[in-house]
Amino acid sequence: MALIDVRHITKTYNSTAVPVHALRDVNVHFEKKEFTAIVGPSGSGKTTLLNILGGLDAPTSGEVLIGGQNITGMKESALVEFRLRHIGFVFQAYNLIPVLTAIENVEFIMLLQGVGKKERHERARALLADVGLADRLDSRPSQLSGGQQQRVAVARALASRPRFVLADEPTANLDSESTTSLLDMMEEMNAKYEMTFIFSTHDARVIERAHRVITLEDGRFQEDKQ
Amino acid sequence: MLFLLAWRNVWRNVKRSTIIIVSIALGLAGGLFAGAVMMGMGESMINSAIDRNLGHLQIHSPAYRRDALVSNYIRSPQKVLSLLDTLGSVKAYSARTLLEGMASSANSSYGVTITGVDPERERETTALVSMLVAGNFLADKYRTQAVIGKKLAERLGLKLKSKIILTFQDRSGEIVYMAARIVGLFKTESTAFDEMTVFVRQKDVTRLLGARKPLIHEIAIRLKNSSTLPATKARLASGFSDLKVEEWREIAPELAFMSTSVESFTYLFVAIIIFALIFGITNTMLMAVMERIHELGILMAVGMKRGRVFIMILMETLLLSFVGGMLGMLIGGAAIAWFNHFGIDLSAFAQGLEGFGSGTILYPYLPGVMYAALTVMIVVAANISALMPAWKAVRLKPAQAVRVY
Ligand SMILES: Nc1ncnc2c1ncn2[C@@H]1O[C@H](COP(=O)(O)OP(=O)(O)OP(=O)(O)O)[C@@H](O)[C@H]1O
Ligand SMILES: [Mg+2]
Repeated sequence: MALIDVRHITKTYNSTAVPVHALRDVNVHFEKKEFTAIVGPSGSGKTTLLNILGGLDAPTSGEVLIGGQNITGMKESALVEFRLRHIGFVFQAYNLIPVLTAIENVEFIMLLQGVGKKERHERARALLADVGLADRLDSRPSQLSGGQQQRVAVARALASRPRFVLADEPTANLDSESTTSLLDMMEEMNAKYEMTFIFSTHDARVIERAHRVITLEDGRFQEDKQ
Repeated sequence: MLFLLAWRNVWRNVKRSTIIIVSIALGLAGGLFAGAVMMGMGESMINSAIDRNLGHLQIHSPAYRRDALVSNYIRSPQKVLSLLDTLGSVKAYSARTLLEGMASSANSSYGVTITGVDPERERETTALVSMLVAGNFLADKYRTQAVIGKKLAERLGLKLKSKIILTFQDRSGEIVYMAARIVGLFKTESTAFDEMTVFVRQKDVTRLLGARKPLIHEIAIRLKNSSTLPATKARLASGFSDLKVEEWREIAPELAFMSTSVESFTYLFVAIIIFALIFGITNTMLMAVMERIHELGILMAVGMKRGRVFIMILMETLLLSFVGGMLGMLIGGAAIAWFNHFGIDLSAFAQGLEGFGSGTILYPYLPGVMYAALTVMIVVAANISALMPAWKAVRLKPAQAVRVY
């Protein structure tokens, strides 16, 4: 059974004067331990697809199965819980809660999960060490560089022990050095925790690093390279 | 941690939070103080009325309360007085003869209540003696003396030692004249009382009424402690079912009404302040939510339930209003305590205030219940005003909210 099974997903935005077909009949599987890039020009539907995979948005038609469980049509409250337990998120920028320190940001998600205080603290500390920020535990996001903030975001995504991590253009706001080191770190986590990463990008250097590349164009599934 | 998060969120915009806290604090402090001033004024009116002539309790014959006629006197006052002598809660009492009549000088005459008293008893029961501005209270030495309000003296064009003519009816309806020498002038906090009251010796009117014993229309009772009022009243009422035993509230319902309306007015006043605050707080919290759309989107995306987001926003407001409320209580409480100790000198407005029967030095005070109630009102209102912003926050769609920077 595929980790994620996307079946005949279409997404049409009707809020605009002319309906926008953001996704047109997309079919794709993702397996455990993948390190996959979703690429395509701006407006091709990358963000839309990731949002639907992550249960942040509902498709117009089609369904998404995660570990065999159909999340399409789930109630909002159940989806929140599902996201909390099973999916890690990294967004393009400003992922962190500005008033919380790095370690508090990582602990926060475990708090929502109901993990005990001591375990929360230890796991957060270990994860921040994993992403190379052992010495910045008590820094506020504003005291961290963009690359460091994204590392904390990855640590937070991993903290909930999700089945997979979705990252929408995680390197878009980073310089090339930070981009490389973030990818190094993500790959390391991919190997160490057998964690599935699905990320979107425009960046050729990022695409190079992916183990699998899925290309979208104008909302259509274009090609799938291993 | 939700609490910690809310607390830090409150302080991310120090200036804005400070403004909200200060306005809540000042609003509450202002409300508390204004309430205390009003309560103090009401209390002063009540106390001065009790001191002046009301006493805590009064006993009349029911007929007299319906119709203030000479003939409606208490038939066997001695029984009542003997019981009063045995009651530990009673400080003093004065058995009075009350006659509705006229006071005249060479120039004019006015309707007055002629009050025949035993000077010693009256002295113990009320504080009238301390309100004399000229002369002395009734004494035994001379015959037919009168003590009248300074105001009445002015109206009649009379001075200390002038002669005053008092006219009233005896039991058979015959008009009786009494010429008396003014030995004292009083000035109380009530202009109405000063214009309408004449004190004379009870034995003088008793003689003129052709009675062997004084006709007692009213027994005014002063208690050692006003907290024993209900018990003493009950004791007297059960002992003398044929008489009407009333407390000051019933005798002067306008005072009782004022005392309750002062309270309602205070609440109304604070309600108006709160109404203004609600708009300010709603606006501020709405801004706080709008600025944080992206962040709230992230929180909901990663798995924070809507209910928790809602509580977080409410908690932020609760914290603001709690800090503001505490500060307001502190400021208001300190101001009240200070002025309660030193008094507010209102002699500049004395003329107007005396018309009300209130003292010129005001001692604001506020009962504990009202402190609590007003503070709770502010805190509750603050949170009501956060409902809309909190609701706006939870209505955000995370997928869209995270796209907002
Ligand atoms: N809420 C929305 N309402 C209407 N149209 C939308 C909405 N969100 C996205 N779209 C449209 O859907 C299409 C796909 O958008 P999407 O954001 O998924 O593209 P993308 O591949 O992530 O682009 P980019 O690389 O610029 O991030 C675009 O044409 C976009 O304008
Ligand atoms: Mg996008």
